[in-house]
Amino acid sequence: MDKSWQVTLIYFITHLGLIFFMYPGDIIASTEDGHWIPIVLGFAVHLGAIAVYMKGLVRLGNRDIVSMYLGMGKGVSLLFLLPITVYFLLICVVSVRCLSEIMTVVFLSSTPLWAIMFLFLFISSYIAFKGIRSIFRTGLLIGCINVPVILFFFSASFQNVDWRYVYPLIGKSSFLTNPSYLESFFVFAGGFLFLGFTQPYVAYRKRHIVFGALALLPFFVFSVYIPILTFGQATASTFNFPFVVALDTISITWIMFDRITLFLLLSLISFMMLYLSIVLWSAMRVVNQSFPSLKPAYILLAIPLFVFIVCLYIPDWKDITEFYWWGTYLRFYILVAVPLSTCFFAGRIRKRKVGL
Amino acid sequence: MKRTLKRGAGLSAVVGLLCALCGCWDNRDIDHRSLPVVMGVALHDDLYEVVLQIPETSQKGIDIRIISQTGKTINQAVDKISERMETSVDLLHLKLILVETEYAREGLTDSISSFMRARDISPKTIIAICDEKLDPFFDYVASSMTPKGTTLYDCFEKNAGWNPQMSLTRIWEVYRSIHSYTRDVAIPIIKSGRSGTIDYLGSALIKNGKMVDRISPEETLLFNSFNGQSAQGKIEVMDHASVLILRSSVRHRSKFAHGTPHLDVRITLKVSIVETKGSVTSKLVKKEVEEILAKRFDGMLHKVQTQESDILGLGQYFRKDIPRAQLRNWRTEYLPKLKVDFKINTIIQNDGNTKLT
Repeated sequence: MDKSWQVTLIYFITHLGLIFFMYPGDIIASTEDGHWIPIVLGFAVHLGAIAVYMKGLVRLGNRDIVSMYLGMGKGVSLLFLLPITVYFLLICVVSVRCLSEIMTVVFLSSTPLWAIMFLFLFISSYIAFKGIRSIFRTGLLIGCINVPVILFFFSASFQNVDWRYVYPLIGKSSFLTNPSYLESFFVFAGGFLFLGFTQPYVAYRKRHIVFGALALLPFFVFSVYIPILTFGQATASTFNFPFVVALDTISITWIMFDRITLFLLLSLISFMMLYLSIVLWSAMRVVNQSFPSLKPAYILLAIPLFVFIVCLYIPDWKDITEFYWWGTYLRFYILVAVPLSTCFFAGRIRKRKVGL
Repeated sequence: MKRTLKRGAGLSAVVGLLCALCGCWDNRDIDHRSLPVVMGVALHDDLYEVVLQIPETSQKGIDIRIISQTGKTINQAVDKISERMETSVDLLHLKLILVETEYAREGLTDSISSFMRARDISPKTIIAICDEKLDPFFDYVASSMTPKGTTLYDCFEKNAGWNPQMSLTRIWEVYRSIHSYTRDVAIPIIKSGRSGTIDYLGSALIKNGKMVDRISPEETLLFNSFNGQSAQGKIEVMDHASVLILRSSVRHRSKFAHGTPHLDVRITLKVSIVETKGSVTSKLVKKEVEEILAKRFDGMLHKVQTQESDILGLGQYFRKDIPRAQLRNWRTEYLPKLKVDFKINTIIQNDGNTKLT
């Protein structure tokens, strides 16, 4: 059955969940002026990676990338599947820890961290346990409820904007080597891998994903530019989560709630839970196909448990950012190697079939 | 059997999740919290004095409770108040922060930064300066203003007691002024009046979070209309007539040549005539409005330039001309040199119900 819209929606909302927290701060820290250049550059890399990946997946037909790598022999599968698994685990640890920290900073100041992390992991693994189809169904439901909320508050956040803060438009190219900029690729490399895992279960038209990616561009741009236009670069760079603070300055008198930030954050957090469950499920698929003797249910218990324990051992925000930084090399490896290798191997498989 | 067991386990997990629904930890109910609406802050000999105005419901209606305490930090003072009360103090719904003039002159950087850092105080909280000691001021508020949940805050609420001559500044704007290269703010100054009113004295010029000078209410009106806050409803008193400003719009054009910034400002005012003295022609009214406003603007600009406090956000217009490295010195290097060409165009939209002779 064709599920193009569902897959595109999931792709869209998981990325929305990723964008608004760390990304604006990273980009604002990476350069002083002309922020659109790093944003557009990162987006172009993402779009390129997706285009190549989609091309490979079309060639691959009805298989997922795990079985493709496994079919290419032990060396190849070790070279690709091991980094992918490690990367998934890293994503889980970083996003669970970051999110729970954000939650305590922003609204649940008296709730202990472990309780928040436990709740995140529990719900996500429960959804993952139910399988990819129920992930998609949940995604559709959450999307229908929360996307309008996000769009509304996103458009309301233009309230205090002073467009003259856009200048100067042209900046230096020094951001390319800035660690913050490299970290910002978290949003570009984190969410697209699952598209290669869904094939045997859910078929979709690959072109839709590219449209979904294009629809994300305004969110990438304005998640960075709204804090800059509201506060100016010099002020915005003093915040940990510039977009959240920029949203705090919005006052809409006819809304009975004083702080609308809460609504946006809760919607985003529900997206992040969905994202986590997808990552958990994908990690489970990799392990399960590599070692068929292990039961999926046990894997899905072991991975969150491992993530939970690692999260408990990260004491403060500084260590999270360090963790975040460790993943950078792996992130670029994933971002470049996986789409290219998929395209290459899928082509070879196809040729072999034609040859037979 | 196994299936039923599995189902039972799943079901109990789902039911167990219901406990998480309340989402609160160490939760305090609303009747055990005190939610101050106004906070006063002063600094004397390195000790912060914090005054909280807490509305409390009683059988007669609402009472205002004023509590003050000193501490090494604002938080310590608030905690001391919280200790001494039977409920816990929660700054979540703070609407107005009043700062004593002396403290504003010394610089608000520390406290504004900590307000921004702490999540419990909203960045939208309005800030004002109190031109007398806090204790007598709050005593006056408690004794002679009508007790209401939002007493004092209503003076600044845009759809309640706010006037276009008042500046309206929020915490995040002051924070922006501390860090931004090209943007400062004006903070309203108030004082206790007579018979239950609050006197509004004008606005303070803030430079990097420090009060450097003050401007009159009339100048603040101009400041508001310059910044695009509608100056609607204000009655402009002159020798011969008073007019009601219906609408104001501003156009700016900036030019940057040989290191000197030039700015063309055109304000278009649409007014309606309210009151006249003797026989007045519309031409005369027009001329007088233009003259008076031009004079006021020059006065304000002079203060802005000598104090190097860019409350009008004039630097914003030159962001595209001055590179970032030099923009840092906007206030000291370029602002005093700025040439402004200020023109006002008045349109008398109507004369009210009667004809002008």
